Amino acid sequence: MEPRGLPRLLMHLANGLVILFIMLPIVAVVLGSLQPEKTLQGESRRVIPSEWTLDNFTVILTQGQQKGRIFEQATYLPDNIKSFYRAFANSLIVALGVTLLTVGLGALSAYTVARLKLRWALLLMQANVVARFMPAIVLMIPLYVVVRSLGQLNTLHAVILTETGFLLPYAIVILVPFFANIPADLEDAARIDGCTHFQAFWRIILPLSAPGLAACAVIMFIISWHELLIPLILNSRPEFMTLPVIVASLVGDVHVFFNLLMAICLLSLLPTVFLVALLQRYVVEGLSAGAVKG
Amino acid sequence: MAGNDGRRGARELSPQALGVVMNLPAICLLLLVLAYPVVYAGYLSLHRVGIAQLRRGVFPWNDWENYTRLFEDPLFALALKNTILFTVLVVVVEVILAIGIALLINRTSLWTSRLARLLILVPYGVPPITNGLIWSFMYSFQFGFLNRVLFSLGLINDPVNWAGNPNTALYAVAVAYIWRTLPFAVLIIHAALQGIPRELHEAATVDGASAWQRFRWITLPLLTPVIIVILILRTSFAFAVFEEILAITQGGPGDASFVAAWYSYKLTFSPPNNIGMGAASAYVLALLVGLFAIGYVRLIYRRIA
Repeated sequence: MEPRGLPRLLMHLANGLVILFIMLPIVAVVLGSLQPEKTLQGESRRVIPSEWTLDNFTVILTQGQQKGRIFEQATYLPDNIKSFYRAFANSLIVALGVTLLTVGLGALSAYTVARLKLRWALLLMQANVVARFMPAIVLMIPLYVVVRSLGQLNTLHAVILTETGFLLPYAIVILVPFFANIPADLEDAARIDGCTHFQAFWRIILPLSAPGLAACAVIMFIISWHELLIPLILNSRPEFMTLPVIVASLVGDVHVFFNLLMAICLLSLLPTVFLVALLQRYVVEGLSAGAVKG
Repeated sequence: MAGNDGRRGARELSPQALGVVMNLPAICLLLLVLAYPVVYAGYLSLHRVGIAQLRRGVFPWNDWENYTRLFEDPLFALALKNTILFTVLVVVVEVILAIGIALLINRTSLWTSRLARLLILVPYGVPPITNGLIWSFMYSFQFGFLNRVLFSLGLINDPVNWAGNPNTALYAVAVAYIWRTLPFAVLIIHAALQGIPRELHEAATVDGASAWQRFRWITLPLLTPVIIVILILRTSFAFAVFEEILAITQGGPGDASFVAAWYSYKLTFSPPNNIGMGAASAYVLALLVGLFAIGYVRLIYRRIA
């Protein structure tokens, strides 16, 4: 039964509003990053600027080496803008490290919860579900004191370990339903053929849960790419900052105007927005597995 | 295949032992990064901890002073009030919008529905701090994108100070937060919608039920479990909102948009670095969120059992 006439028109209209709401900030960041400070300030009532430029990206991507026309007279550029590549690399190292560790350790733990029928493993699972709610700020105050006293502030491994511990419960929560959905017969048959539980896990469950592992991995990558509070508190030296920390450091810098700000915003959101677009199916499966299948 | 001559009994660990071994790395890490800090935060919250104490490594007991000062601080009361207001607003608006949008994008015969469905996940890919900065450009009083659009459409004559007005700042942050977190709620509800058998709606239509009646008596009851899940998850995450506050208002103007996580952060990490009291305030936040977490666990495990 398809809607016709007025209801159909109203639905198109409602969809139009939804699309407008989703796209408005994206249009803002694109338009803001493609114009010079001059038009942004001088034409404060125009949506489409009279002048376009790529200089905002040039200055960031050449780390301030080429200033382009619009920054020719600029005497000051924040150091953090100049360390874009370093921050990008740090973000990549942290996100990949966290993804590998959470999916690896999470798979080991999720198997015991989903397939070994242990009473205490179920309790562990419930503890994981509760742990997922813990606000990062609660953990970061004591962790700052601990990491500081161990002399491990301004390192990437402290950030990776902290984020892994923080995200591991969520990874387990996502993986358990995927493991639980694999028919018991397959594992039983392997057991009869002489597989140990661990071999059944390694050769049957893991390969068959490849889509679940992929879903978990992409979500872990996205969340750790986005994480601000943990690297912000643990790392204060520019060479250890991740991309979100660089972005946050520009808040309130009166010398950085919106054109440059929007350019770095656009660069920082592209990787994960692409990932979401390319791997949409996995993101959808992982998020719904982690939310409702318990 | 197993390479152990089929005599697994001799070598195989019992499920109990295997369970312990396979969980060992995760348990160690969780004790180190989750359990220990939570206990240690409790310890810090009962002692005097500032930069001077950190250097010396001695934290003197200060007789619940952190908590008594906390509950006497009007800024903390304001932060809690703002946090609750923000959370209620975000959760209610988000759930209603998500149900509407999920129903809308489920109409795959409409090309606009298919387009909206394609785009709905975009905000999930945007980092929270980046989202905050983009919205600070949207809201900027003098140069903001939102005012540009409204000027161009002839809807306003003077610029609107969206985030700089103490009466609207918190709402401005809420809109930015909803923009980023809405896809998750839409996605979960949309997945649940697809699980509702068509026959139910067809049978009700044959019996003469209107579209509203079908929504009220078929769709809504079947969506209730996922709606409750979203309510609990979003409530506990919105309680800890941080990045959008940092980027858009920094708690301002004045302290109009101070929220709990921002209060703890400022107290702890900006001079004079009152770490003990910061830990106490974070503990209050954890307690509030913990109540929701326990409710969530009881809910989903009761349903499975």
